[in-house]
Amino acid sequence: MEIPYTVTARKDTGLFNSKVGIWLFLASEVMLFGGLFSGYVFLRIYADYPWPERALPIVPGLINTFVLIGSSVTVVFAWAALKMREWRKFQIYMGITIACAGMFMVLKGIEYKAKLEHQAVRMDDFAIIEGHAHYAAIGDDGKLIHADTKAKAKKMGGSGEKPFKANAILFKPDTVDFSVARAHEPWVEAVLEQAAKRKAQLLTAENLFLYGSIEDYAGTEDAPLSSKERASKEAALVTKYANAEDKVERKFGESSLFIPARTALSYDLIKKARAAYVGGRSHNAAARTAILKDNWEKVKAERPDDKYWEQAPDTKIDAATQLDEQFDSEGNCTAGSKVMSVISTLSFKMDPPQPIVISRGWVKRPVKAKEGKAELRDDTSFNAGEGEGSAQGLMDSSLILAVDAIDLRWMVQKAEEAGKEPLEVIEKSWIFSEGNKNHKYYKRIWKSHKARIAALEEKLLEDYGRDKEGNPKRVPTETDRYRVAWQDLVHYARADQQEGRPLRPGDPGYDELRPKFWNGFAGPNHKDEEIHDLHAFPELEIPHEKVALQSMFTPKWNTYYAVYFTITGLHGLHVIGGAIVLGYYLFFSKGLYRRNPEWLANRVEVGGLFWHFVDLVWIFLFPILYLM
Amino acid sequence: MADTPEAIQKAKKQYLLIGLILFVFTVVTVAVATVPWLDFGDHGFDSRDAIIGLLIATFKASLVASIFMHLNHERKTIYVVLLIAAVMGIVLFFLTGWAFVDPIEYGNTVEGDRFYNPEKPITSD
Repeated sequence: MEIPYTVTARKDTGLFNSKVGIWLFLASEVMLFGGLFSGYVFLRIYADYPWPERALPIVPGLINTFVLIGSSVTVVFAWAALKMREWRKFQIYMGITIACAGMFMVLKGIEYKAKLEHQAVRMDDFAIIEGHAHYAAIGDDGKLIHADTKAKAKKMGGSGEKPFKANAILFKPDTVDFSVARAHEPWVEAVLEQAAKRKAQLLTAENLFLYGSIEDYAGTEDAPLSSKERASKEAALVTKYANAEDKVERKFGESSLFIPARTALSYDLIKKARAAYVGGRSHNAAARTAILKDNWEKVKAERPDDKYWEQAPDTKIDAATQLDEQFDSEGNCTAGSKVMSVISTLSFKMDPPQPIVISRGWVKRPVKAKEGKAELRDDTSFNAGEGEGSAQGLMDSSLILAVDAIDLRWMVQKAEEAGKEPLEVIEKSWIFSEGNKNHKYYKRIWKSHKARIAALEEKLLEDYGRDKEGNPKRVPTETDRYRVAWQDLVHYARADQQEGRPLRPGDPGYDELRPKFWNGFAGPNHKDEEIHDLHAFPELEIPHEKVALQSMFTPKWNTYYAVYFTITGLHGLHVIGGAIVLGYYLFFSKGLYRRNPEWLANRVEVGGLFWHFVDLVWIFLFPILYLM
Repeated sequence: MADTPEAIQKAKKQYLLIGLILFVFTVVTVAVATVPWLDFGDHGFDSRDAIIGLLIATFKASLVASIFMHLNHERKTIYVVLLIAAVMGIVLFFLTGWAFVDPIEYGNTVEGDRFYNPEKPITSD
């Protein structure tokens, strides 16, 4: 079939059809990105925390801007080459365009990677600590060791122990409860693997009957089981299997399950329990509906003249009470409407208690020692034992990082809200107090920082003077005052460790020690030898008690990163999509060029329009996300 | 629309020039954000820096749209489509303004209302 108006223009629109099509599509894109920008503005205006302004390293964003503008020029040149029927030139320009798209994505990847590896912690006093988590491992004595690299941690750890990020939680559980319905297989397997490695077993503490159907529990309507009969049936099962060599669970009905005490944990076991649980649940629903129906009939029979809305309040909507067992005078179960399987968790005792490394991403919320438990997002719960001599639960497993920024702006905001003096609150906070092992080092950093800001304040006053009311025209910002960035840490470390005497603000050469904006391409470089030798990024051990939120620089951390990843991610997908379309023109369109070059030129124009749009979005994204 | 070979040759020069202007203004936008003596308004980032950054971005975007995307001489159909999109886009932008009439946030309720917030009573005015 001949497609109309691919080359010639339609009379009514004056355009070839695909051009109308792409503009309609771009119009919808304008609204899509417009909505997202609107979201950004809203989140920023109403943020209840100090917005991380100018938080991203500029250089990758700047290069990406150049790359996209350059590719916009080359794509329009590729179109012009086709119009001039210069295939070779078209190939070159289009090739450069696609290479630019590739380069953009590589830079974006580097940037994303830096974010995903960068640890952020909000402490309970609203101090924000940023850095790189150390690596830790469990030593031969069962205690935690840590080092700044994975290799070192492996060497220091016990035999067979895998190093892990020192933001994990080390928990010695007495019991572990798995949610029957929600237990996540990889996590169950990981717990099993760790227990096996540390020569511990996870065993059920008592005999468990999980009834998956009413018949298994109460018998059929024709032959109801009395509670005595059921008890003797259960006792028979216990004697049969509890002391048997083969301690596997057995089915004693269609979907019911008997799990003898001291059965070892396996995901398979949880899966079987899940089947019984789900069976029980569906049965409960049916029983509930039946009871409600009966009640409704009863009320209707008692008061036939009432309207249904008058009858309704007397119908027992909450039939839960009736779901309990009902026995006649001889002890026979008559109602048979007992909740089939109320057991939604399987509890295992750890024998002997051994530490389990729980990854940062598994837990629902930060783990506190006094709560005595760690809850995972799949509703698994690690519980400390009660009484003397039992497992203590959370072990000494502080979050250990090499700090590359200390952000106290939020703490200041909270202090001001409470009408307190910000500096006093800061200097009394945990990080500068005895509780922190390295507090002396941090105090020195804070002293250097205050000295530099005081010098900056003086310089601004000197350069810009005062206004009519006598106030300085320019003053350091909140970010200057209360955020110690990685550049500051390197700056102070360099100044302190000068040969001869340490440099102070105002000394000649002091300002030159500051890292330039192109240093640390995608953020602080922890692998830099100079920074390593200076110990510019000091170590910090934050007890789990103090952690209010820990996250990588991902959408979880704050709304800025949520909107950053959403918009740049969507934009990145547009770059990939555009590159695929342009690649199709470059690699698979020689035939069309021979048959109908004008058609191909029109296609390239349309693809180019999309590409320019992608560039246009970035032109706004760059200043908004990187410079503001 | 540049359709004759001469017109295309001429347009190519224009594209290069625009590309160059875009490069220069990218450098300018970074410079006003990072170089202290080019800093408008107060020291550090403030609303004036935001306005200037967005003005430069808008200028760059309009160059891309009008020259690279040929919007400086396009058919009426496309302008109509874009006008509708622009209106809708602006409406979208202000949709979040509904937050201002959130009764819970602003406490404009009376006692007995389910949104009543004793900490934010209505001030009689």
